[in-house]
Amino acid sequence: MVDEARIRSQFPILDQEVHGHPLVYLDSAATAQKPVSVIDAVRDFYLRDNAGVHRGAHELAARSTVAFEEARAKVAALVGAESHEGGEEIVVTAGATAALNLLATAFGNASLGRGGGAAQRFALKPGDEIVTSKAEHHSVLLPFQELAYRTGATLKAFDLDDQGRILAETADQVITERTRVVAITHVSNVTGAITDIDPIVRRAHQVGALVVLDVCQSVPHLPIDLHAMDVDFAAWSAHKMYGPTGVGFLYGRRGLLEALPPASFGGSMVELAYMDKPAQYMDPPARFEAGTQPVAQLIGAGVAADWLRAIGMDRIAAHEATITRGLLRLGQVEGVRILGPTTPENRIGTVSFDVKGVHPHDVGQFIDSRGIAIRVGHHCAQPVHRHFGLFASNRASTGIYNTVAETDALLEAVAEVRHFFKVD
Amino acid sequence: MADFGMSDQELEQMYQEVILEAARDPHGRVPEDRPGSPAPHDGVTMKVEHGYCVPAESQQFNPTCGDHATIHVEVSDGTDGRPKAIRRIVWQGDGCSISQASLSVMVDLVQGRSVEEAMHLAEEFHSLMESRGAGIQNEDAEEELGDAVVFQGVSKYPMRIKCALLGWEGMKASVAQALTDMDKEKEQA
Ligand SMILES: Cc1ncc(COP(=O)(O)O)c(C=O)c1O
Repeated sequence: MVDEARIRSQFPILDQEVHGHPLVYLDSAATAQKPVSVIDAVRDFYLRDNAGVHRGAHELAARSTVAFEEARAKVAALVGAESHEGGEEIVVTAGATAALNLLATAFGNASLGRGGGAAQRFALKPGDEIVTSKAEHHSVLLPFQELAYRTGATLKAFDLDDQGRILAETADQVITERTRVVAITHVSNVTGAITDIDPIVRRAHQVGALVVLDVCQSVPHLPIDLHAMDVDFAAWSAHKMYGPTGVGFLYGRRGLLEALPPASFGGSMVELAYMDKPAQYMDPPARFEAGTQPVAQLIGAGVAADWLRAIGMDRIAAHEATITRGLLRLGQVEGVRILGPTTPENRIGTVSFDVKGVHPHDVGQFIDSRGIAIRVGHHCAQPVHRHFGLFASNRASTGIYNTVAETDALLEAVAEVRHFFKVD
Repeated sequence: MADFGMSDQELEQMYQEVILEAARDPHGRVPEDRPGSPAPHDGVTMKVEHGYCVPAESQQFNPTCGDHATIHVEVSDGTDGRPKAIRRIVWQGDGCSISQASLSVMVDLVQGRSVEEAMHLAEEFHSLMESRGAGIQNEDAEEELGDAVVFQGVSKYPMRIKCALLGWEGMKASVAQALTDMDKEKEQA
């Protein structure tokens, strides 16, 4: 088990009172708090090493460049990706949203014939299909929906069961010979359900389609081996895995990244640029990293990745499972309905719920008065709320620092909500 | 540190009985075609009850909490010999108790009022919501606002002001639309 006291001591932000109550932070699915080691790494970088990377020949530039590439390797190690020079499979982006837009834009560029013959494997045309699911975050749904509009491809979606789980067992019907791309979430940021991706990946590859996996909500909570999962692309953000904001990642199989045309153009991604003929772009990952990169943030993310590996993702998952069980007791509170799996199997500790007769914004206000931070709203995933016949919900989500006692505090507060709003 | 939330006591102050009651059964609300759908589909497009009235609607949305309302108005065009007025106002939507209660109180205040009076009330309500909890310090205005003064407590909380203003913004926008349509009709006639 993880040493709770030791973990918590690394998060000074948690040691405060809010509205006269000890802060209970149950909003890690939105963004996780940062351990001191991550904060120090960012600060130390600015105090000692700060310079642009991959440009300039001075000492600080060299130190920054080395630290940047080392951080990329640490992040790669967390998810089982390659990072040796010339074989890198991790592209640095501004976040998961930026990574997914990069990919959809690159597919669009390939559809317009950019990137030559090698890029034709990414090209879409009318009649082709892009498959997603009703459980997606808007950051997956919208870039790929727009890609479908731009290319004339058809957007299809996996349906969900009544607990909001993606119906992976329908993969053979949903994914057809016309499917070229499957863009789907590994873990829903609303239901917390872990998608059974094996049948989806198997079927997609059987028909020659590419699998893009949103691992935003799985990387911080579960052991992830992208090679073993056999996905083609994956995207996530550092800030949900205890790293800084402003940096995220696109994973791509090396061979695919080499064939993928760039999506964003500018400095540091080009080998030769001319006035009168097309430029010659660099190899990945640089090809996709136009402009000055979030260097300090990536270095912080590298420290976060190492920190997670040192604790051990298995142990983190086991610890959080106890918190998940604590949160799932919400389902026993009068008038409360859990939107997602009601038992702890194959889910993480992100638990969305509805309080009958009380709008989430009011629930959130009440819960906040007890010093407890949860998220209210649609969590950037409207279709899955519609699936439950709702527009918005309340969401409590765990991080490694949460305790069962904190879930008790949440339960106590939620149990009072309907009485306060006089709907009981 | 600034404190944007509230203690138990402040919570009671914000959620006054008037607000909780109005939110449970808000005035002017007509059913939505589909629960959770922000846009009315073809449910209550306004039936114009008087020949001298022009209908219009405005969709309002608060992305932070998903409050959404479509406000429908029927505005008389003055050819009945009286000032242009809001002859009918109803809305569809869903949201937090602050938005629902504010819509309800707004409907009670502007229903039947002249456009000029309604706009004046909207301005006063806006000042109240900008008062950061202090109120508007003007007895006449307070009297005109009636029940709407209970939202004074809400004005302290930047995250909730939008909720309280949602209905008023929709009223202003839909009335403005009706007036524009009236002018267009006149031009064509
Ligand atoms: C499942 C999922 N996908 C994508 C995103 C987008 O991440 P970001 O906003 O960091 O780009 C999030 C987080 O908001 C998420 O939870």
